[in-house]
Amino acid sequence: MKIFTYALALTMTTALSSQAIAANVPAGTKLADDQTYTYRMLDESSSVDPQLVEDTDGSGIVRDLFEGLYNQDGNGKSVPGVALGHTVSDDNMTYTFTLRQDAKWSDGNPVTAHDFVYAWKRAVTPELASPYAWYMELMSIKNGAEIIAGEMGPDALGVSASDDHTLVVELSQPLPYFADMVAHATTFPAPKWAIEAHGNEWTRPENIVGNGAFVLTEHVPKERTVRERNAMYWDNENTVLDKVVSLVIGDDAQALTRYRAGELDKTDIPAGQYPTLKEELPNEAIAVPRLCNYYFSYNLASGPEAFQDVRVRKALALALDRNVIVDQVLQGGQFPAYNFTPAATAGFDVPSIDYADMTQAERDAMAMELMAEAGYGKGGEPLAFTYLYNTSEAHQQVAIVASQMWKQKLGVDVTLENQEWKVFLENRGNQNFEMARGAWCGDYNEASTFLDLLVSSSGYNDAKYNNARVDELMASAKSSQAPGPLYTEVEQILADEMPVVPVYHYSANMMLKDNVEGWPVNNVQQKYYSKDMYKVAE
Amino acid sequence: MLNYSLRRMMAVIPTLFILIVICFFLMRLAPGGPFTSERPLPPAVMKNVLERYGLDEPLYVQLWTYIKNILFHFDFGPSFSQKDRTVNDLIAQGFPVTLTYGFFSAVFVLVLGIPLGVVAALRHNSFWDYVMTGLAIFSQIFPNFVLAPIMVLLFTLSWGLLPGGGWNGGQWPYVIMPAVALGTSYMASVARLTRGSLLETLSAPYIRTARAKGLPERTVLWRHALKPSLLPVISYMGPVFVYMITGSVFIDVFFSTGGIGQNFIDAAYTRDYSVILGLAILYSVLTFALTLMVDLVYAWIDPKVRSGLK
Repeated sequence: MKIFTYALALTMTTALSSQAIAANVPAGTKLADDQTYTYRMLDESSSVDPQLVEDTDGSGIVRDLFEGLYNQDGNGKSVPGVALGHTVSDDNMTYTFTLRQDAKWSDGNPVTAHDFVYAWKRAVTPELASPYAWYMELMSIKNGAEIIAGEMGPDALGVSASDDHTLVVELSQPLPYFADMVAHATTFPAPKWAIEAHGNEWTRPENIVGNGAFVLTEHVPKERTVRERNAMYWDNENTVLDKVVSLVIGDDAQALTRYRAGELDKTDIPAGQYPTLKEELPNEAIAVPRLCNYYFSYNLASGPEAFQDVRVRKALALALDRNVIVDQVLQGGQFPAYNFTPAATAGFDVPSIDYADMTQAERDAMAMELMAEAGYGKGGEPLAFTYLYNTSEAHQQVAIVASQMWKQKLGVDVTLENQEWKVFLENRGNQNFEMARGAWCGDYNEASTFLDLLVSSSGYNDAKYNNARVDELMASAKSSQAPGPLYTEVEQILADEMPVVPVYHYSANMMLKDNVEGWPVNNVQQKYYSKDMYKVAE
Repeated sequence: MLNYSLRRMMAVIPTLFILIVICFFLMRLAPGGPFTSERPLPPAVMKNVLERYGLDEPLYVQLWTYIKNILFHFDFGPSFSQKDRTVNDLIAQGFPVTLTYGFFSAVFVLVLGIPLGVVAALRHNSFWDYVMTGLAIFSQIFPNFVLAPIMVLLFTLSWGLLPGGGWNGGQWPYVIMPAVALGTSYMASVARLTRGSLLETLSAPYIRTARAKGLPERTVLWRHALKPSLLPVISYMGPVFVYMITGSVFIDVFFSTGGIGQNFIDAAYTRDYSVILGLAILYSVLTFALTLMVDLVYAWIDPKVRSGLK
């Protein structure tokens, strides 16, 4: 066994009071009397059950009510949660986590390794049928896939408690970023006794037992949830907020009005309003990188014949002026994208991609040249195709601008078609499109969460892109301790073959009152923890 | 009258059944399902999820199970999008909210609309009549989706008098704006209906007779004119009241009340089949109940109608 060089894991005793794992209030700060933090949610959460929750807002609530092995700090780095640290076996297939002794459930029971074993088995049981069982599969836990498929019982899962405070996880293949995946809600512990006593209703405020910094005191679907300080939480004395309220507000503009009226401490910015709000309230309007990309996907399986020609694919990618889309259409601090993986992804260096460094005039000239060579567009065979996107004002604006650029520069006729979300997903997933909008948000902060999409066997590969070298590189990246160069090569192949057109990388836009501190603006996954936040006196 | 009511109620059963069947198949026609997502589920996970909710069965089996569960267990099924809740839970939580502000809205409509109409009719072609007509037109050009944002700008943002939304257990400051925004245009309609109908009644021969008998004007109005004048208002309010208490989707979304209307749209978008069906059934039952009630109130007011209800 070798000791994993986990900075905080090595300094276990000091980690307890480390600033990264609780509200980090500088000395001399005058705190506000009322430590109630209220924020807007777009929609009701899918669940507050850690093994069932699917949406990001719901996961935010679950992170307050439960605590996993690791948490993330303000920069997205893993820091001790219930686990103080871990060791990895020489073959990188076995992880042993050491759990803290003082962690308690809200009913006073100690949090033990058995609670994690129970939760992880629960996540993959066919009876619970959690849609997020796929996350456990992604973590490559031994026998996970077989249990989900019903070929083995849940007890065969490669997770066990060697004593109350030691959790041993066996993997089916080495996974260099495994330890960073345990900050995800699906992997949080679950109180067996409460679930068995109350069945489906165990997440109700009157029944729920959690091990997070807050307990659920009120939950009105589609209206509000209220969480209050959990006196049993091991680090309760360093928690500053007393109460966290999330209000479900479906309408962006109405949410902003209520923010302005002082009813909310945080809300989202309605599309296109970032520049004006930034000017009006420069300390409150925030745009930060977000781990999501936006791209156009060619249908390489059954799309137009012209898409088989790499020159056509490149020409369309080159002629797209991303600065116009980002600066003039979206105006929300997004980043023009010339490659697939967002630059903000941890450990990922954006490779040098030739067309990224050109001026738009150079790109346009090259696009026209390529199109002429391919024999399409102006002066060649007419090229027309349909671009499919899901109904939304912002997507429509991007589609209109892109189609105009292609029409003007390349003489290509694009028909725009929008569909309701589920209809769109169904058609895109069945290759019932010519070119379609695509977007992806990282499941974990590592480049493979994006690049895996273009592996030929991926269920998310809507372009049906198939390149043996890409498959091979991504397969070896899974077990490589330094996968960086492999990702660079994949990105370069993608730039050469252009199976999808990267358009932009997302930013998260929000209004946040300037007396709220500790919201992790530098965490590209926006994993916030209410226990790390506080309000200063105004 | 009891017989009549019973007969009407019996007729609801086959109608409901037809409604369930039509809704059931209609919603399955929409492409995509409750578990279609941006991140397609791996086949093994999808299989478990479909099995868990019985969606892997043939459609007619699913329909039969659904109806059976309602009949024998009064169980309208689980919600697919809110996994901690059943349809029964969602209705039990959202319906009282909508019922509360819908009820106050209806009270607002009647308490303000009828007197306005009466005053306008009695002071026919006077200043008060014009004020009432002006007000009616004004409310008509400010439907709830225009009125609600204006109210929030004034009462919440500018004057800070009322919360801009939410429900918070139904405390009164949270009820006022949804109720008023929902009711204003109906209030105007009720005022116009009352005015027109009362004017007509006042010129009827039996009113002339009553006046000729020397009855005081007050008695003529309250005892003889007003009651029959309200018949059109009652038949108008029946369906409107159903609409109000089952939730204006707009009011629920805009004021984030957590009412039942919000569930209806969300369920359609997320293909939350059992929620869609459960709400469709709730709406229909309420519509039946309310129309029956309107008919009975009619009978109570109008002896002619009463003798017809055999």
